[in-house]
Amino acid sequence: MAVLDIKGISKHFGAGVLAVDNLELTVGDGELVCLLGPSGSGKSTLLRMVGGFETPSGGSITIDGEEVIHLPPERRPTGMVFQSHALWTHMNVYKNIAFGLKLRRRPADEIKRRVDAVMELVGLAGYGERQTHQLSGGQQQRVALARSLVLEPKILLLDEPFASLDQHLRERLREEVRDIQQRLGITTLFVTHGQDEALSMADRIVVLRDGKVEQVAAPDVLYREPATPFVAGFIGTMNLIEGTVSNGTFSRAGFSSPLPVGDGPVTFAVRPEALVIAPAAGAGAAKIHRVTDYGTHAIVDLELPDGLRLKSMVPEARHWTTGQAVDLAPRAFSAYRDNALIYRSNAAR
Amino acid sequence: MTLAAASDIVGASNKRRRPVGLLLVALPVLLVGWMVIYPIVAAVITTIWRPDANGRYGISFGTYQFFFSDGYSLANLSLTLWTTVLCAIFLVIICLPIALYLRFAKGRLAAYVQGLAIFPLFVPSIILSYAFIRVLGPNGMVDILLNAVHLPKIRSPYLTPWGPLIGLVWDNIPLTVLILIAGLGSVSDASIEAARDVGARSWQVLVHIILPRIGNSILVAVSFSVLGIFSAFTLPYVLGPAAPEMMGPFMQRTFRDLYDPPNAITQAVIAFLFCIVFGLFYVRSVVKNQRGR
Amino acid sequence: MAETFAPPRRIDWVGISFAVVLTLVIIFPLIVVGTWAFTNVWRYPAIIPQEFGLRFWSQTLARPDVWSAITTSISLACVVTLLSAIICLPAAFAFARLEFPGRSLLFFSFLAGQAFPKFGLLVAIAGIFLGLNLIGTFWGVVLIQLVGTLLFMIWIPVAAFQGVDRRMEEAARDVGASPLRVFWSITLPQAGPTIAAAVLLTFVNTFYETEGAWLIGAPGIRTMPVLMISFINNQPVIQYGAVLSVILWIPSFFALLFARRVISGGSFARGFGA
Repeated sequence: MAVLDIKGISKHFGAGVLAVDNLELTVGDGELVCLLGPSGSGKSTLLRMVGGFETPSGGSITIDGEEVIHLPPERRPTGMVFQSHALWTHMNVYKNIAFGLKLRRRPADEIKRRVDAVMELVGLAGYGERQTHQLSGGQQQRVALARSLVLEPKILLLDEPFASLDQHLRERLREEVRDIQQRLGITTLFVTHGQDEALSMADRIVVLRDGKVEQVAAPDVLYREPATPFVAGFIGTMNLIEGTVSNGTFSRAGFSSPLPVGDGPVTFAVRPEALVIAPAAGAGAAKIHRVTDYGTHAIVDLELPDGLRLKSMVPEARHWTTGQAVDLAPRAFSAYRDNALIYRSNAAR
Repeated sequence: MTLAAASDIVGASNKRRRPVGLLLVALPVLLVGWMVIYPIVAAVITTIWRPDANGRYGISFGTYQFFFSDGYSLANLSLTLWTTVLCAIFLVIICLPIALYLRFAKGRLAAYVQGLAIFPLFVPSIILSYAFIRVLGPNGMVDILLNAVHLPKIRSPYLTPWGPLIGLVWDNIPLTVLILIAGLGSVSDASIEAARDVGARSWQVLVHIILPRIGNSILVAVSFSVLGIFSAFTLPYVLGPAAPEMMGPFMQRTFRDLYDPPNAITQAVIAFLFCIVFGLFYVRSVVKNQRGR
Repeated sequence: MAETFAPPRRIDWVGISFAVVLTLVIIFPLIVVGTWAFTNVWRYPAIIPQEFGLRFWSQTLARPDVWSAITTSISLACVVTLLSAIICLPAAFAFARLEFPGRSLLFFSFLAGQAFPKFGLLVAIAGIFLGLNLIGTFWGVVLIQLVGTLLFMIWIPVAAFQGVDRRMEEAARDVGASPLRVFWSITLPQAGPTIAAAVLLTFVNTFYETEGAWLIGAPGIRTMPVLMISFINNQPVIQYGAVLSVILWIPSFFALLFARRVISGGSFARGFGA
């Protein structure tokens, strides 16, 4: 249906504040791309620029090859779902959804048909006469979604749509929205700061930091092959150990591991599930600080002699006690220097 | 820390020393009873329960019949209605754009405009009257400036019905703007953006999204100014024509200069009746507002 | 198709026109009055006064009626504000923090005065005062102005007291403060600035109260606004009125300095039912 092409887009707020920095991104037809990043990373600003609610300081945004950057929001083929739902509280559910069609002066029977169809689609059939304040948070979110979908936008924009919902509802709506998106094959750009949401919904994830793209990749690739220490630390849990390499060996306090790269400072990254621990005969590389049992597995908090904390995932808690000395063996790991990946162990590939 | 928070008065609960609370509020409450409720009730009763020619008391609408058959009284009433209606219309026409601008604009210029719009709150109406005469009165500043560029003098609104009208609008701008801005505060940015997203142009956003949401605020602002304007005294007395006069100066003259309290109080009761709808609506909105938050 | 886009710097024409028009309509008249107050000679049709000077300040301040109006106004405003604070602040505390029967109804009873056109209400009160021989007396004016202060002096402090976080007070109790000590050391300092603003507004509003003073006080009690009315009606020397206007504006100036924060906050307007 539609391809969204973002080229060299930037956004300054006032003097010196660069919210989005010369950013490039293409969202393919029918693809769901997640913008993921901490608050202040520019993800919402980027989305709002696509929707037309912020004016870029420079760059180009095209939808199906057509430049939209000069168009006001009401003339862009985009549909936005807002974080706060932003329902019009003086209209009932039906009128909220029908408003956009009314503005386009569609015939009454067509409006009715399309609104009913979309209400069916989002699971709101029969709720047309309800006032918005009579709806639960999840239902309000569905109205907001229906309000955008009924206009059949080329691009659907979702701005942290589940932020105000509780965990349980969030998971359910996540699946529903993903289902609807795939059924309609609608090109979607989705903003979130929750990695679970991004990992479970997206075809591809864009990790943003300070207005710049850190990495664009499919969820599984992002998890297994983070391109930068930031992504490594942001997606899932990662032990990041700052240390030095000399003669092919990385070392930091009591911890060391072979690392076939040139001498110099390095960030060593290893996931808890890849950091194997074993009881030490003597002082060991680290001491156990705490053991937390999660039933299916246990997390062992470790402390290096210089105080750095690491985590290791073990199948069972009962073999480990606080204060115990252990040796560490990283099974799969990667190494970064100057914010770039310089080594990935075989097992991590 | 302001009036609005007074709201949860209904909700807060603390079961301490019941009689003490009543005792503490007794004085101001009694004062309201004695100086507001009682005079109003008394005013209605004394204008209806009147002595006849023989000095016997009975129900009589004599003073009301006089008012509604007296051409001068009726002229005053219609002048008051004319001024009130026009003031309300002008206030909405002037203040709504200012409030809309202030709702959406940011920065120093907007702060300056807001400061100006609120400024009349800090100018007592008597100073305003004086300034009005110096600027728009005969040989006032406007005449001076027109004369300097060889244009004819204006027809001064001083001592015409337009005098009090201009003054009252000026005087009522700040609270009208403040009430409208507060009303616009309930229209979230996102709900406006959502409307633009589905294709609404600026004027469609105004008509379909903003106006329906602040209709109540407009009514509150209008009610508040109507209550003030209908019986305004100072500005009409100083700036308005001697005859016909607005209800405020009319009541004052009947009471003080003609020593005719029964007729003055009748005029007051008639003013109450004309404003009762606005008064009740206004009080109801304030109560609802205070309870609601 | 991918042209580079640089938005033009937009000039806020709407804001500029509002600023210009409002400056002309709101500030300009007051500047004219201010100019008159410092003018010795200004004959039509000169645009700029022929002679600036302070001559009329000494003449105005030498008038006995001006001095007596100033003392009357200040003593009236002080007495009314003080009485209002004495009867209203404890009541405000009770409304904010104590439970008693009819609390909600009594709280909203202070709105009663707002439901009626004000001057009509004054005439109705004057009708009562006639029988009590309060017309033309100092205390008659005090009473009528006192009623006008009740709503502000109760509602704003109630909001101020309720704005004080209960947990703050509970924390003080927890570390061993007596209830009275909590009120003195925690509640009052927290609510203080807003209450001070309410007191200031009450003083200023009373100072400028014209209609009650005119209806009830005349001819015995002449406040500054009342004197100003007679200057406007009967005084051919323009500068007297201008000088008196400037003097009259001083309390408003202080209100502008100190109470603006309370007024500009949206909640002030919401108190008016917005």
